[in-house]
Formats: sequence, structure tokens, C-alpha cells
Amino acid sequence: MHLDAFELHQPATVEEALAIASAHPGRFDFLAGGTDLLPNYKMHLNLRPQLISLDRVQELRAFRPEQGWIGSMVRLRELESSPTLRERHTALAQAASEVATPLVRASGTVGGNLLVETRCFFFNQSQPWREALGFCLKADGDRCHVVPQKERCYATFSGDLAPALMVLGARVEVAGSSGRRRLPVAELYDPKGDGIRRTLLAPGEVLVGVEVPKGDGRERSNYAKLRVRPSFDFPELGVAAALTMKDGRVERLEIALGGLEARPRLMRKETEPLVGERLTEERVRTLSEEVRRSVRPVHNTYLAPDYRRKMTGVFVRRALLALRPST
Amino acid sequence: MAGGRSEGRARRLSSDSEGGRDLVKEVEESRAAAGYHWIGQRVPLIDAALKVTGRAEYTDDLKRPGMLVGRLLKSTQPHAKLLAVDVAEARRLPGVAAVLTGERYPTPFGVLPMTHDETALALGRVRFLGEHVAAVAAVDEETCERAFGRIRVEYEPLPVYDDPKVSRESVKVQIHARALRDTNLQKEVFQHFGDVPGEIARAPFKVKVSGKYLGVTHGFTEPHCTIAESTPDGRLTVWSATQVPHYLHRSLSEVLGIPMHRIRVVKPEVGGGFGGKSDPFPHEIACAALAIETGRPVKVLFDREDVFYLNHGRHPTLNQVTITAGEDGGFRAMDLEALIDGGAWSSFGTVSTYYNGVLAMGPYRFDHFRYHGWRAYTNHPPSGAMRAHGGTNLRYTVESAVDELAVELGWDPIELRLRNFLTPNCKTINEFRITSNSVRQCILAARERSGWDRKFRQLPYGRGIGVACGFYISGSNSPIHFTPVFPQCTVHLKADMDAGITIHCGAADIGQGSKTVLAQVVAEVLGIRMDRCRVAPVDSDTAPVDLGSYSSRVTFMMGNAARSAAENLKLPLLQAASELLGHPVEALEASQERIHLRGRPEVGVPFVQALHKAIERRGALVASGAYSTSPLGGTFKGAKAGTAPAYSFSAYVAEVDVDVETGFVKVEKVWAAFDCGRPLNPLSVEGQIEGSIHMGLGQLLSEGLSYRGARLMNPSFLDYKILTPQQMPEVECLLVGEDDPEGPFGAKEAGEGPLVAALPAVGNAIYDAIGLRFLDLPITPDKVVRALEGQQKKGGGVKPAPPTRPSSVGRGTSGSA
Amino acid sequence: MSKKVPVTLRVNGEEHELHLPPQRVLLDVIREDLNLTGTKRGCDLGTCGCCAVLVDGQPVLSCLALAKLSEGHEVTTIEGISAPGALHPVQKAFIDLGATQCGFCTPGFIVTAVAFLRDHPSATREEIARALSGNLCRCTGYVKILDAVASAARSMAPSGEA
Ligand SMILES: Cc1cc2nc3c(=O)[nH]c(=O)nc-3n(C[C@H](O)[C@H](O)[C@H](O)COP(=O)(O)OP(=O)(O)OC[C@H]3O[C@@H](n4cnc5c(N)ncnc54)[C@H](O)[C@@H]3O)c2cc1C
Ligand code: SF4
Ligand code: FES
Ligand code: FES
Repeated sequence: MHLDAFELHQPATVEEALAIASAHPGRFDFLAGGTDLLPNYKMHLNLRPQLISLDRVQELRAFRPEQGWIGSMVRLRELESSPTLRERHTALAQAASEVATPLVRASGTVGGNLLVETRCFFFNQSQPWREALGFCLKADGDRCHVVPQKERCYATFSGDLAPALMVLGARVEVAGSSGRRRLPVAELYDPKGDGIRRTLLAPGEVLVGVEVPKGDGRERSNYAKLRVRPSFDFPELGVAAALTMKDGRVERLEIALGGLEARPRLMRKETEPLVGERLTEERVRTLSEEVRRSVRPVHNTYLAPDYRRKMTGVFVRRALLALRPST
Repeated sequence: MAGGRSEGRARRLSSDSEGGRDLVKEVEESRAAAGYHWIGQRVPLIDAALKVTGRAEYTDDLKRPGMLVGRLLKSTQPHAKLLAVDVAEARRLPGVAAVLTGERYPTPFGVLPMTHDETALALGRVRFLGEHVAAVAAVDEETCERAFGRIRVEYEPLPVYDDPKVSRESVKVQIHARALRDTNLQKEVFQHFGDVPGEIARAPFKVKVSGKYLGVTHGFTEPHCTIAESTPDGRLTVWSATQVPHYLHRSLSEVLGIPMHRIRVVKPEVGGGFGGKSDPFPHEIACAALAIETGRPVKVLFDREDVFYLNHGRHPTLNQVTITAGEDGGFRAMDLEALIDGGAWSSFGTVSTYYNGVLAMGPYRFDHFRYHGWRAYTNHPPSGAMRAHGGTNLRYTVESAVDELAVELGWDPIELRLRNFLTPNCKTINEFRITSNSVRQCILAARERSGWDRKFRQLPYGRGIGVACGFYISGSNSPIHFTPVFPQCTVHLKADMDAGITIHCGAADIGQGSKTVLAQVVAEVLGIRMDRCRVAPVDSDTAPVDLGSYSSRVTFMMGNAARSAAENLKLPLLQAASELLGHPVEALEASQERIHLRGRPEVGVPFVQALHKAIERRGALVASGAYSTSPLGGTFKGAKAGTAPAYSFSAYVAEVDVDVETGFVKVEKVWAAFDCGRPLNPLSVEGQIEGSIHMGLGQLLSEGLSYRGARLMNPSFLDYKILTPQQMPEVECLLVGEDDPEGPFGAKEAGEGPLVAALPAVGNAIYDAIGLRFLDLPITPDKVVRALEGQQKKGGGVKPAPPTRPSSVGRGTSGSA
Repeated sequence: MSKKVPVTLRVNGEEHELHLPPQRVLLDVIREDLNLTGTKRGCDLGTCGCCAVLVDGQPVLSCLALAKLSEGHEVTTIEGISAPGALHPVQKAFIDLGATQCGFCTPGFIVTAVAFLRDHPSATREEIARALSGNLCRCTGYVKILDAVASAARSMAPSGEA
């Protein structure tokens, strides 16, 4: 398999990268570790003639876990092996350590993981495969093979880091031609999107890095991933949870899910009522049940959607029971 | 864990059972008594140093001057008439050297002489998505793909057949004209011995079990690759990743119309085969055709998706077995049906149809047997031969039924099996000749080592232990090309002044270590260091014909041929030494690099001296040895299928842990007791067993070719889920086989047989853990959870009831082997 | 055909000045331009680990790495793992303990294991399995591969620690 020809740019600063991007509107992709983009390119998925490699942009490589700063070009391998992250932001280190395989994590980056292309049986296939069936909405076509209609794509968001960063209250820094801004990771993903565009980033915006609130060390978090094999496989479900207790009651509780729907979701509506409450086993059970009921996976991954839904309940319950202070 | 608290009991048991005998140690000691030097040693592969340094050369590592890239255009229709394949524009593209379509070489071929239904490129019709409709040779891959864009293929869709059940009935369009009657059946087999219906009517105990299996594929890591070069002297050379260079040789000749003696087939290192590189393939012929057309070397390399489409893996299968037993627990009748999905071509299908039935009874004795088997053509990629061909899905269904029957009878499943084993030196009802058979030792060893007696039905809910046995041919007795009667395998040896022995043999080492076996056997017979033996690459110009690495025949047949060649080479050496020493030939033997008086190494001459003497005035010594099977089997139709000069046997015990909430099955450990006779190289045998367990568990838990209609949904290593290093259970290999009377140094096969018991042992362990039997493979966690829910509705999960019949074995009654 | 750019690659300590289309991946360059065929192509999509090489000592998938972006880094392939005529302890253990069968996955496993043991000399068997969980082997069932890496770790441990 080969890659089709493209022009490769290697800017040294964010500003240079932005300038190259704005010179080629709609005709470029940023390239980080390439572990998502290049397989997709080999399958001729949404090729662009210009690739802007972020490899030389030193700023994006900054990794200061003590200060809660992670540059977008930091490799997943660095995250998983950071003692600081493992201790303070367990969910993030765990999520990073469960992405793909060690060989992929050596190249794969934080930015690439947050912006990873959504996945579907009918999309992650070679050009001849897709051509034989008829192209779909998400690449070159005008219909969906999962939910037959012509408006929306249901491809599954399959990044592992996003749910973890969401429950940790992380914010991303984004640089665009009009300057820089920070927004919560949870707001990176468009709740009203058509499922084809992955995020609310404007075209040509660069993800600079992620800021994880340092906190006071009381927060406990974890990430659990459902997949058939303990390596290689994308999440069929990813559950991140973070819990801070005060005087035996919930001070802050967040749950976020990935691997289920077109975007990762923070389950605020379900968790909010628990703030100020005791986290009894009974409450954990009810909450898991509510979360389970609110998710809508479709059949475009290996495991059956009803099962993934059911496991959402199981995983949420297990996550919370593990986080609950043992009394 | 479970073992910890019953330590004490375990120890007591182990001294009870078999009167404190350690079966493994006993066989090892008896084997050592034979006094072999190389045979039975843990010998590293002779080519391992090349492999670990990246120096071993596989087909894709070879380059020829001026070599072009060949690529094959895939069909976008699963079943359609090819109205036109217009390549004119593609031919005009700069950089394109040749474009071929099916008309150029219309001669049909196939691995079995009776069922030639493939062509080098699709001709008039495409029969599966991904079948090749045109071949392009160009300066690079990009140009090939650009050429594809300019090929206009006009299809007229035909009805698509993706269900073997439909193919069995009367159909509108036959996928091949040679399909049976008005159906899409490729083959139908019916056999009946004894009185099965009568037995079923009378039987006090019977169970009926149906299995459903997705297709699985070999998953070797090296994609198919072929290089061909046609030279001005009228010769054609083909390098290919093949398991059976000889079949390729024949097919090239037939289809291209070039006599075999002008074709040279070379087999470089092969990165795994498992049956998936044993057919002669259309792409190999298409590659040669491109080379002839362009006059330049051409390389065709598959991408991973192409490998999935070529498939030739294990058939998707529906089967059903009824087993009956008497009050005494004795098996009486087996009634079996199997419908297998052959996909678009015949491949080995006729053999597959037989194997899916005739291998069902062993290792048990039955007096009544009926089998009805069908192989359907469908518009799926072709199925073919894959490790433990025909014997895997069948074995899972049968061993599940035996387990179920034990429940029915209230017996311990090990005892039920012990009650029903075939003995050594017997004949089965379908006239297989059984010689060596250590299945009893296998099951006793596995039972002992696994702590079976304190675990079976006694572990907590969710944790379980299961047992299953296996049986497989050690080489198919009848070769595919049987007239005239050529030997199955021939080995040539050459010894020259350098005192090295060059071994020529057409048998393909595909990673299983057959080169090493050759060197071991020759070194053993000649009493020399192994590094004197060098195994020449498989090259049809120099290597004598071997009928291939399939049917687990290599060790047995090649080993015997090598032994006989070495004996023949030894003769002149003994004569030379006899001259030098003044002792008669009969008094001499070869060992420790010397030829000497029997039992007295100090009275002798060094090997090199004897050799030099022997080649004085006559030049290099050459010798040849061959192995032919003698006729076996009955005279009824299909009687030869499944006959083998020997059979391997096995008994595996597996322990599992089921997460009853998520449905994940973790296989903790497998005790693999295997009878391959005398293991020539235990290191390799263990490697085969461990690899087989990996492959078997993959099929059991997560692998499967998933189709929607005729479309393969998972043609990639991401979506076709092969187990990873973290998923492998601990494996304990127990090699307790006794010497086989006809195998080389007592050896039998260990390449395929080790697979078959792995799946049902785990399936039966899952049953022990949660009381649920899964007969629909793979057993993915969602299926497990669905079944557990059904169980919940019926009142919750409990362990199955323990056997009611008191255990007798282990107290010396039926256990004395 | 497509435009080429100059690329300077350091592979196994040797510098190569090449002209390559920027879309060429490291695997293709290593195998085809530099004739270092020890690195294998199993899938081309990051799903098998056969193509692993070391970049600045870390194992990466050469099928998903653009050659141009490897400039300024030290690439080590299986051919550079040991000095000519010598074997790395991991290679030695693979031979002795039967960890290679068809050998096609072997270079990928070895470079991955060599890097891992360098950083984790006293790794447990579970840690080794995890470190190798991006490499597929269809022949061995991994058992002997894990045996070999664990044994190499012991043989490399400074005496007294083993
Ligand atoms: C076999 C295999 C298994 C995998 N399994 C998993 C898995 O289990 N879980 C998982 O989450 N992922 C998985 N992946 C996908 C991928 O490897 C990871 O998501 C990885 O983190 C992506 O990072 P990258 O740097 O390689 O991204 P790239 O491929 O370089 O980029 C991904 C996308 O993000 C954009 N992008 C990257 N960085 C920036 C930036 N700074 N600013 C703007 N845009 C940017 C790119 O344009 C591109 O669209 C797998 C991949 C493979 C090959
Ligand atoms: S969900 Fe529908 S539109 Fe989206 S990738 Fe799958 S088939 Fe295409
Ligand atoms: S070839 Fe690179 S991972 Fe398979
Ligand atoms: S040795 Fe064959 S794939 Fe690993």
C-alpha cells in the first residue's frame, strides 16, 4: 500500500503552520503522529494534497505535568509513563496506556487522539471496498449504510483520551488566525454536528495543548475500556470517572463516555444530582442505570450495540465503586 | 486461588492415581533408552540465526534487475457476468508494460485434479467480491493503480448466493457448471456403517448437538508474494510464497502451456502457511503471465486485504451430531451432518467434505456411523484447507456432545472418554488402521497435572475446567496426484570433500522447522554433527519432488525419506571404514563423528577419513531415499479419505475464568497432552502446540470472517481479531506418546492435531464454569452475556451438577494403561 | 511522477542522502531504497508490528512514519541491532528457546524487545507481554517469545541480580 502524492510542510512555529493552512483553505490536513491520518490516507479517505506536519513545532511538545500542561504533540507513551499523571490524573494516564498498542503510542499524540477520525465499519475500509458498496456520506458519497438516510453520519468517536480529559475538567488551547482561545475539552465536540465534522475547531485551527486543573490532590479518577483484545482495538466503550469527596459526600462527580456515539459525552445531567449526596451503593446503581439508559450506540463496531449499552451500566458502576472511598 | 486451599488433597491424589506414576517422566525415561544423539533433542531451528537477524529471505525481499510491479484489479461485484473488461486505455498509460484479462489464459486449474474451476483471471464471470478481473504490470504501484482507474469493467449482476442452505436447494443460477444436479453444491458425501437409525431408536442415552462456525482464516503474517521471470532461453522461473512448490509447478505448466521441465519453481522462506499457501493460486499464474508478456521480471505482492479475499481458510460450518450410549456408558452410534460453505471455488473442497465427517469418530470407538456432508458453492471468497483441515469444527461439536453425554449419564467426562477410547492396533468401523495410540496416557497425564479431580464441578461459579480429546491424520495416505504412483517424498543427499552433507528435498519449510528435522535425521543416521548438514533451498531444478506441506505429512513422510537416504549414504561410508579398519561392515556403526566398532568408539576412524576414502576415485557420494505409503482403507466410496499411515491423539484440559457480568472469558491454563509418537524435536513440538492453542483460542473467542451478504466486513488485522500476547494462557505440554512403529524414529505429526482439542476443552470448561454451552463460534462477550441473561430469567446461574457415578479411574481399575 | 525532496537518513549509523517523494514511508525506504529487507511488511496499516524499527532508540511502526520526518533521528533496523557476527542476547535467546518459527514477525519482536529491556531490565513476564502487545505472531502462540525475552533479561542483568 502506498500513499498518494502530497506536499509536505514542516513549519517550525504555530504561526507558520497557521499561515500555511490559510494559504490552502480546505486542501490540507495537519499531521501529528500520523497513526490515524496515514492509515486513513492509505485507504484513500478524504485525501488532501497538502500535509502540514507539526513535528518541528517545539511549542507543541511542551510537557509539564506538574503544572498540568500537555502540549498537543506530546506522545501517548510519555503520558502513560509519567508518574505525576499516574498519581494525580489517573484516568488520563490509564486512558493513554490503553490506546492501540505500545508501538502506536510511541508515535501517536495527545492532539491526534482528541481529533481522531470517527469510525465505522463502512468507512474504515479501502477505496475498492467502499466503491464496491457505494461510497457513504462521510467520504465521497451521499448516504449512510448504518442508519439509512442522507443527513447524518453515525460513525463512532473512538478516542480514549477525550473522556478522561473531560472528567478531569481539562481545557484545550486552540490557535487560529484570529488568535488563541481556551475551551473545555467537553466543548470541543459539537453536540449538534452532523457526525462528519468531528469538532468545533474552525478549519485551520491548531490544537496547541491541554491544560489539566492541578487540583488539591483529593480528586480520584479512573478510565476503563471495553474492547475485545487488550491491545490494538479501539474502544467499544470508554468510561472515565472522576470523584472528589468531602465529609463523606460528593463534592464533584463527573462521568464521560467514549466509543459509543458520534462524540464523547460528559454525563452532567445524570451526575449533577449527586453533588452533596452520599455515594451509597444504591445511588451508584441508580446512576449507572440512568447513564445506561441515555446512550444510543449503533451497529457499526465489532460488539453488538445492546451489549455495549448494557456494559455502559456495568462499567460506570464498577468505576464508581472503585473510586468510592472504602469505608 | 482455587488450587491453594486444596494443596493437601492434591498431593494425596497425585500419589493415589496411577499408583503414584508420573506418566511424563516414564515416557521420557523410556525414550532416553533408545540412546539417540540428535533425535529428541531440543534443537534450535537451523535457520533461526538468519531469522533473528533479518537475514532470512522471503519472496518480497528478493529483487530482480528491471523488475516491474504487478497488481491485480478486484471485482466490485460478488456474482456477475463480465460483459466486458476494456483495458485499451490502461495499456496506453505511460509506465504500463502489460495489462492482461482472463481470455489470455483460459485453461482452468485447481489443486485437485478432479475439480478444476479456477482461472488465472476471472473469465466471463466473477464469483466473489475481490476476485481478480485484470492484471497490470507497470513501473510502480502508483502507475498500476492509475491503470486500474482506466480499466472499464462491465458487469451484469447475477443472483448472489451467500447462504449454503440455499445453495443446497434447486437454484436459478449455478455458480459453476460443474455443481451437482440443479443445485450449487460442489460435493455431497454419504456414508453409513452399521445401523444408525435403529441404534438411535433403541438407545437408552443419546444427545444431539448442533454447531455453527464462522469461517476463519490462516492469518499468517507474510502476505502472498510471487516473482516471475521469463528468460530468452525459453525458461520461466517463479519464486513464490508457497507451501507446495510442486502443485504450483504443475499448474503453471498446465495453464501457461509450458512443459514442466522448462519451469523452475523456487520457494524462498515462507512467513507462515497453515494451509493457506497450499493451493496453486491464480495470482501466481497471473504473475508468470505478466512476466512472459513483458519479458521482464514481475513481482506481485498482496496487501492484507487481498490476503483476506484469497482466504482459503476454514469453512463456515453448520454441523450436527447425535451420539448414543448404552447403560454401561459405551458409545454405540454416531450420526453426523455437516454443511460447509466452500465459497466460490472448489479448492480442496472434496477432501474438506470428507474430512468434516470421516475424522469424527477417532479417538473413540463407535460401531455405527452415518455421515451426510455437503459442500456448497457460494459467492463468498473461497474456503480451503486450514490447519487441522476438516477436523476442527467437527471436533468441537463432537467433544461438546461427549461432554453433554457425560452429564446425561452422570459420569465424569474423563471417565466416559476412558471407557470409550480406541485401543492401539485396531481398525475403526470406517476402516482406518490405527497403530500407535497413546490417547489414554494423554488423558491420564492431563488429568493428573491439571488437578482435575479436585477441580471439576468444584470451582466457584464463573470458574471452570474442561476436557476434550483430539485425533488427526499424520499424513494423508493417498497423495493428490496418485497416478502414476510416485513416492510421497524423496530426499537426495550429497557428500563431498568438504565433508558437508547437502540435503535436497522438495518439502517446504514454512516455519514449522522441517529443515531442522531433515538435518537432525541425517546427522543421527550418520553419527555426525548437525552443522555438517546443510539443507538446500527448495528449488525444483535441484530438489526432488515432494507432495507438499499439508495434511501434516512432512515429518512422517519426509522424515522417513531422509532416514532412508541417509542409510543409503552410510553404506559406502561403512564400506570405506571397513576397508580402513579391517572389520566387516556389519560390525560397524556411526556415531560421534566416527565410524567404529559397535559400542567401541575408540576402535574406528573419523567420519571425514571414511568419507574421503569413500570418494577416492569416484567423486562425491550421492544417495537418495524415498517414502511411499502402502495401500490402506476399505473399498467403499470415499474409503481413502482420512486414511493415514498413523494418527496423532491428544487430550487437553483447560481452566477458564468467566466474568459473569461482562461475558469475557479468560483462559487461564491449558494442559496439552499430545501423542505425536516420539517427538523428534520437543522444542518444535511445543512450539506447534502453543501456536495451535493460540490459533484455536482465536477461533473460539474472537476470530471470524464476518459477512453481510457476500461482503466481507473485516478484511484487516484490526477487525479480524487474532489473539495478542497478553491473551495467551499458560500452556503445559505433556508429550506422552509411545513410539509409532512406522514413523521416522517413532514420530508422528504435531502440526495440526494439536489444534483440535483446544477449542472444545475451553468450551467444556466454560460449561463447567457457568453451566452454559456455546455452540456458535466465536464466543464473543456479547453472546455470553445474552446467554447469561437467559439463565438469569430461569432462576440464576449455578454450576452444573457434579457426576453421580463414583469415580473408578485412578484407583487402578480402568486406569492401567 | 511525483515531486521528490532531498532526505538525509541515518540508518544503523550510516548516513544516506536520498531523493524521495515526501509521501514515502520509512518502511518502503528501508526495504526498497536501502535494501534493508530484514524489516517486514505485514499489513502496512499499523496492525501487526512486523515493520517495527527503532527511532532514537524507541520502537515505532515504520509503515506509518514518513521517511522525511525521520530526518535528524537515528534509525535502527534489525540489521543494526547487533554488530556483524555477534548476536544481541535477545536474538540469542530467540534462537535457543525456539521463539522464532516462520520468522516473519521476528525482527519486529526483537527490536521492540531490545528497546524495552534496555529501559526495563528487570521486567516481569506480564510487563514483557504488555510491551510486545503491538506485535502479532501467528506461529508461536507467543509463549516461547515471552520465555526468550524473559531469559534475555536475566542473562543481561548484572551478575548477582539475576
Ligand atoms: C492499529 C491502531 C489501533 C488504534 N487504536 C486506538 C485506540 O484504541 N484508541 C484511540 O484513541 N486511538 C487508536 N488509534 C488511533 C490513533 O493511533 C490514536 O488516536 C493517536 O493518538 C492519534 O494521534 P496521532 O498523533 O497519530 O494523530 P494523527 O494521525 O497525526 O492525526 C489525527 C487527526 O488529528 C489532526 N490533528 C492532530 N494533531 C493536531 C493538532 N495539534 N492540531 C490540529 N489538528 C491536529 C490531524 O489532522 C488528523 O486529522 C489506533 C490506531 C491504529 C493504527
Ligand atoms: S455512519 Fe453512515 S455515513 Fe457515517 S461512516 Fe458509517 S456508513 Fe458512512
Ligand atoms: S506493517 Fe506496519 S504494523 Fe503491520
Ligand atoms: S514466527 Fe511466524 S509469525 Fe511469528
